[in-house]
Amino acid sequence: MAKKEFSFNKAIVEIEDILRDIESGEMDVDKLALNVKRASELIKQCQKKLRTTEEEISGIFKDLG
Amino acid sequence: MTERLTLTELQLIIKDSLYMALPDFYWVIAEISEIKANTSGHCYLELIDKPADEKHVRARIKAVIWNNRYRFLKALFESSTGESLREGMKILVKTKVEYHELYGLSLVISDIDPAFTIGEMALKRQMVIRKLEEEGVFSMNRELEFPMVPRRIAVISSGKAAGYGDFMNHLTGNSFGYIFYTALFETAMQGTETEESVISSLNRIADHADLFDVVVIIRGGGSQTDLSWFDNYNIAYHVTQFPIPVLTGIGHEKDLSVTDMVAFKPLKTPTATADYLIECFANAESRLNEISTGIMENTRQILEEWSRMVESFLSNLNLATRLMSDSNRKTVERFRSDLVSFTYNFLKRIKNICGVHENTLAILNPENVLRRGYTITSLNGKIVKSIRQVAGDDVINTQFSDGKVTSKVIEKTKDKRLKKQE
Repeated sequence: MAKKEFSFNKAIVEIEDILRDIESGEMDVDKLALNVKRASELIKQCQKKLRTTEEEISGIFKDLG
Repeated sequence: MTERLTLTELQLIIKDSLYMALPDFYWVIAEISEIKANTSGHCYLELIDKPADEKHVRARIKAVIWNNRYRFLKALFESSTGESLREGMKILVKTKVEYHELYGLSLVISDIDPAFTIGEMALKRQMVIRKLEEEGVFSMNRELEFPMVPRRIAVISSGKAAGYGDFMNHLTGNSFGYIFYTALFETAMQGTETEESVISSLNRIADHADLFDVVVIIRGGGSQTDLSWFDNYNIAYHVTQFPIPVLTGIGHEKDLSVTDMVAFKPLKTPTATADYLIECFANAESRLNEISTGIMENTRQILEEWSRMVESFLSNLNLATRLMSDSNRKTVERFRSDLVSFTYNFLKRIKNICGVHENTLAILNPENVLRRGYTITSLNGKIVKSIRQVAGDDVINTQFSDGKVTSKVIEKTKDKRLKKQE
């Protein structure tokens, strides 16, 4: 787990880069497994962030009544 | 020798002569310069003739009204004119000339025409009014702005008068509970001192005009006579010049005095004056209520609008958030499926390439070539690729897929086909 604060936007950019490399075939086969693992991690973190944000907002809206 | 008479005889001659010359009743216009009723009830007057613009009295005579006649005429006069017989008043009276040897000449008054006096007073009043109008001051006090809340009142009145008491009772006992601040300026409200006293009080108030909202001049509440003291030019003039509004309640049901006419508003009685002030207060209060209701209504509307706006902000926020959420989720979802499909595609492609290489390698593998029927020929350990490398009777080795054959060259033939390629 990265110690830095998770930036949703930065993660998106990184995932896009990885996907682009794989799709175009420019990816090194050696690094493939590593990058796929990285992308997968990032995606998981994005999904988690979305979930917590949505929950927080739900709570706020509930407070407003 | 001339006749010698006693005084009495002379007086009697005079008396007879006068009686003969003036036996009748005469209606006479005169001004009262003195008037006094004594304990017996008889009224003794001094009448004069003094034209208005002259300083000196032109004629003078004593007059009397006997007590029973006086009772009647006094009542008649006062009820008709609203004034009492007094000094300075011009009257039209029915007289008989009487001469008494002891008391001398006098007129006995048996009747009076109040209409004449009324006319005279009206005339005087008209003159005062005209003078004020000509000076352009007549409506000055009425043109002042009346305070919305007439709270501080300067009272010109006699403290002993019933009118003052009525006024104060009404004011302090008003059912709304309004509080007034009043200051009494003790003033003579009838008699010859009236002019000076009223003007003096007005001046005293004018010195502190900033302490008051309104002046009231009140009297009466029973006494409804002698209003003509307020037909006075000086009093009226001072009222027109007064810096704050003047209300009058000098207790006359029928007529208005000149002071009433120039005042900001004449009321009929002191009580009516008090009621008017209370009414002003009540109007101000209801106006305030209107305004405050108006403010509340406006405020309520404004708040409603804001509330609606906030509500729409909220639902917009809701909507926008949901849309963003959906969009984000879809993006990440797409990433996930893309990652999976791209990775598998990548691997498939790599695998394909490897597969192709594998096939090529397989085809090129010498073992597989030998198995397909091709052989490798060598001469003295060197692989032979051309017929020119061998000659007749050479011993050559041929490698097959499963072994070796040694042979001797018998003959060699060049392929025609190959020539073209050279």
